[in-house]
Amino acid sequence: MPTILKDRTDEIERLAVRYPSRRSIMLPVLWMVQQQEGWISQQAMAEVADVVGTTVAEVYEVVSFYTMFQQRPVGRHHIALCDTLACAICGAMEVAEYLKTKHGIEKKKVTPDGRFSLEFVECIGACSIAPAMLVGETLHGNLTPDGIDAILAQCP
Amino acid sequence: MTTATAQWERVLLPNIEQDQTEWLDAYVAGGGYEMARKALGMAPADIIGVVKDSGLRGRGGAGFPTGMKWGFLPQGLFPRYLAVNADESEPGTCKDRPLMEQRPHSLIEGVICSCLAIEAQQAFIYIRGEYYKAARVMQQAVEEAYAKGFLGKNIFGQQGKNVDLVVHRGAGAYICGEETALLTSLEGYRGYPKLKPPFPAVSGLYGKPTIINNVETIVDVPHILRRGADWFKSWTHERTTGMRLYSVSGHVKKPGVYELPPTVTLKDLIYDICGGIRNDHELKFVIPGGSSVPWLKPHQIDIPMSHEGVAAAGSMLGSSAVMVMDHTVCPVWAVANLSHFYHHESCGQCTPCREGSAWMHKILRRIEQGGGRMEDLDTLRDIAGEGKPGSGMISGKSICALGDAAAWPVGSALGQFHDEFVEHIEKGCCPYKNKRYWMAGGRFVNETFEKMPVL
Repeated sequence: MPTILKDRTDEIERLAVRYPSRRSIMLPVLWMVQQQEGWISQQAMAEVADVVGTTVAEVYEVVSFYTMFQQRPVGRHHIALCDTLACAICGAMEVAEYLKTKHGIEKKKVTPDGRFSLEFVECIGACSIAPAMLVGETLHGNLTPDGIDAILAQCP
Repeated sequence: MTTATAQWERVLLPNIEQDQTEWLDAYVAGGGYEMARKALGMAPADIIGVVKDSGLRGRGGAGFPTGMKWGFLPQGLFPRYLAVNADESEPGTCKDRPLMEQRPHSLIEGVICSCLAIEAQQAFIYIRGEYYKAARVMQQAVEEAYAKGFLGKNIFGQQGKNVDLVVHRGAGAYICGEETALLTSLEGYRGYPKLKPPFPAVSGLYGKPTIINNVETIVDVPHILRRGADWFKSWTHERTTGMRLYSVSGHVKKPGVYELPPTVTLKDLIYDICGGIRNDHELKFVIPGGSSVPWLKPHQIDIPMSHEGVAAAGSMLGSSAVMVMDHTVCPVWAVANLSHFYHHESCGQCTPCREGSAWMHKILRRIEQGGGRMEDLDTLRDIAGEGKPGSGMISGKSICALGDAAAWPVGSALGQFHDEFVEHIEKGCCPYKNKRYWMAGGRFVNETFEKMPVL
């Protein structure tokens, strides 16, 4: 019996009729899980396999390919800091340093209060407002130390 | 009149500075969806004819003529699909995001016109996972259009004219911007590219004929229908036509997305339109078309920003994403950063790309950290070639062009900045003072780094 996706059945079926093949709902359903749970557990993968009509191995294959799918719990506000060239030459690493020294947010770690986690990612398409980071679903560009303080202060 | 003061009418993003979403009512009030209605009354071949006449070339990077691509669809084979490539992931490129966030309905109208042209009844917009806002805005705009009857069954009340549009989100894979990988990802699998032929126009999504176009390309279509092919061709340099969006990033005073004709020179773009180099520093090098293209040095930048103009200087226009580096940027560090990107984003199907990109990154990282050997340069040149298609161990030897994209910047950096590579090896350290030694994700840190001057 599904527990994670138990209230989402109607939503999933409405989605499935929009695609010529049921398999195409793989990514949308995985997003549903991640938005609800914050990450994608093994149990979630098993449920997704049932819903999509495939095996757990195939779901894991997909989850492990796409870097945005989290396979372990993240903080309530997950920070994705771009460190590709355009952001790197505009101070992305100073942002990382600031997050670490001022706010105690370190790469690949969840803060002890569970509030933040940080990941360095490749280009997020915000090159003209570098350095940039995603906090949860919100993009922030032209980052400055004061700006970062204000952004993080809004995250409960 | 200098380039900076010249005024061009902006049609794609007229109010980019305001950063507001134009919802359906405002879009219709400004004459929106008139071209979708007009296209309903046109024969598909006529729409394709106008697009062919305009000389519109794909805005995603390859620059393939759009009308010709549409012409590759096999006769009488249905259903057909349209996939809009909104997986804008090439480092430096950030033009489709404002297009979707600010003018979602111009994309939907483009989709309707294009679907009518290629006789497709279903379209997909594949948006990269990182574009949360663009996906939200597009989804809401699509719902608005459905509610008005502009999308769905019998659009605009015309019997038998159906266009269904689904907004589909990726989940963080650069490779899904490659057209065949985009389709496998859309089908619900790992985003692995496929060998061509068969080309997607013959056998694409779910094995059916499929056309894949970039967001900006699709948005251009209604503008061409409205004002005609000659209007579009009034900005022409050789075989590059129409205004396009240039994303400028890096060390210029005013980075941003600019809508300009292809006759604008790279020099004017940097020094006039973007206000020159920050802090009036010296220009070190420019990447003129997204991270995969060969680099240009300051003496090479007096060129028109068209496919032909940039190619004549030995690089590529690509996605018209200009990255500008001033003299504080170490080219070895920069190419090591890019090589990390390709190493990370290689899908892993083809050995030359998977192993080659990792190998190049390891060597570059070693040189940058001061542990380089002279023979490393020979090895790098063997792997990367000379920054030209087909040279070296990777380029032309993988299923898709990611392998080429990984090799070209390395080959080009070696050619353009050979002396600096040698200096790194001879001195046993990076000669750039005050530079941060964090690179490629801070995976290693030089203990002696000093704080960089204010950026």
